[in-house]
Amino acid sequence: MTEPDDTEGGVPRSARWLVGVVLVALLVPGLAGFDVWPLTGWRLFSLSRRETQTNWVLEAADADGATREVSLEELPLGYRHAEWPMTDLLGQSTRQRDEVCEDLLAAVADVHPATVELRLVRDHQRLVPEHGDWVVAHDPEVFHSCQV
Amino acid sequence: MPGLTVARIRVLWHETLWGPETAARLVVAHTGLTVLIGARIVLGSYRQLAATPRALVDPVPLLFWLDRMPPVPVFVGLQVVGGIAALVAVIAIVGRLGVARVAFAVAWVCYLVLAGLRGSRGKVLHNDLLLVWASAPFLLAPIKVDWRDRIPRRIYGWPIRVSTVVIALIYAFAGYHKLRRSGIDWVTGDNMRYVMLWGPSIGHAAWDDLARWVGEHLWAARASAAFILGLEITFPVVLVYRRLQPLYAVAAVFLHITTWFVLGLDYWAWAITVPLVLVDWPAAAAWLRRRLEQGRPEPVEVGMAESGMARGERQERAEREEVAPRWS
Repeated sequence: MTEPDDTEGGVPRSARWLVGVVLVALLVPGLAGFDVWPLTGWRLFSLSRRETQTNWVLEAADADGATREVSLEELPLGYRHAEWPMTDLLGQSTRQRDEVCEDLLAAVADVHPATVELRLVRDHQRLVPEHGDWVVAHDPEVFHSCQV
Repeated sequence: MPGLTVARIRVLWHETLWGPETAARLVVAHTGLTVLIGARIVLGSYRQLAATPRALVDPVPLLFWLDRMPPVPVFVGLQVVGGIAALVAVIAIVGRLGVARVAFAVAWVCYLVLAGLRGSRGKVLHNDLLLVWASAPFLLAPIKVDWRDRIPRRIYGWPIRVSTVVIALIYAFAGYHKLRRSGIDWVTGDNMRYVMLWGPSIGHAAWDDLARWVGEHLWAARASAAFILGLEITFPVVLVYRRLQPLYAVAAVFLHITTWFVLGLDYWAWAITVPLVLVDWPAAAAWLRRRLEQGRPEPVEVGMAESGMARGERQERAEREEVAPRWS
């Protein structure tokens, strides 16, 4: 053994302090259930899923009026989590909504160059059984839009 | 007797945190975690995050001062420094060099920052956090360890014991919040059916048909939910019944691999960290070697159990009494 045994059992005092800090950092947010990353409440998949959900969807419109849904998976990595910033837009100003929309429009226009308008859509979805299969019923609501 | 109970709890708590382990187990766990941290640093898709527009950046509290993603050279720099530090740490741990502690700390901090940057896009990400927290005790783990020392000692044991506690707490909290926020309906209701049928909010399942099959068979969905919640909420049992640690490690690996299949979610760091810490690999290898040599099974003492711990206690007692150990 080469480490100083300055406490009973040979565990250094510094190690005991570290362990105390780590345990407190885990226990407090873990019990209370809050997130101050990297402290976290570990609320993984903790809310029950239902047959309904609201998704944020990007709808790109061309000059001729044709529209298409653009998956975030089509965009670069930095845009893939855009659903969460979009969710936050509910309580934000028009300027902030424009900023997010225009940033997304630039990325969408790179993928689909004919795009002239981007709509941020709240899609209220319901999963329904139909002829032995499950299909998604959509109820889209345009939340914000921006143009090239 | 209440006094006895309190005393027993104190002893149990003490042994849980500060119990003995072998040097070989410490070296394997420490090296394995370092390799995993290095791999996550080097192989992760980080530099692409530099292109995230400012409006979509929501920094995690650890990186609260950022108002945008750093440029590509910062990501690459963190990856290079972290990767080299992890490599140096591995060499130094195996070679018993003092620089191992600093190198491990540098790699750990680089990994923490990179994971924080990846999580600075509005959603709380847990993918890297189990590894971050489970490896935190190893920041002060003993370095100049004689791995040929086969006597379990407390000085070797505490990083592994504390890391095990961290892992058990993390799983228990995950289960606790499912019960707290959704109740037992999380298992008995249609929750898992809809988890499978809706799929992940980001990405897609690696095995769509399996997810769909589970979603369409309510019994399978409920059994899956019961398995997940049961595993998580009972995880601290491994702190009392250490013999169960390999079993829980296997169950956790199964959970995270199937999560990847049905939801496409990257919990590989969890799937590797848990067995690295919970399984005594040198003891398992020794047991397997003996079994192969003898061609017949022996009583399992894959280190995980009270048998390994009791042996360690006997050795310590023997040392204290200046009695030569009966095994070496």
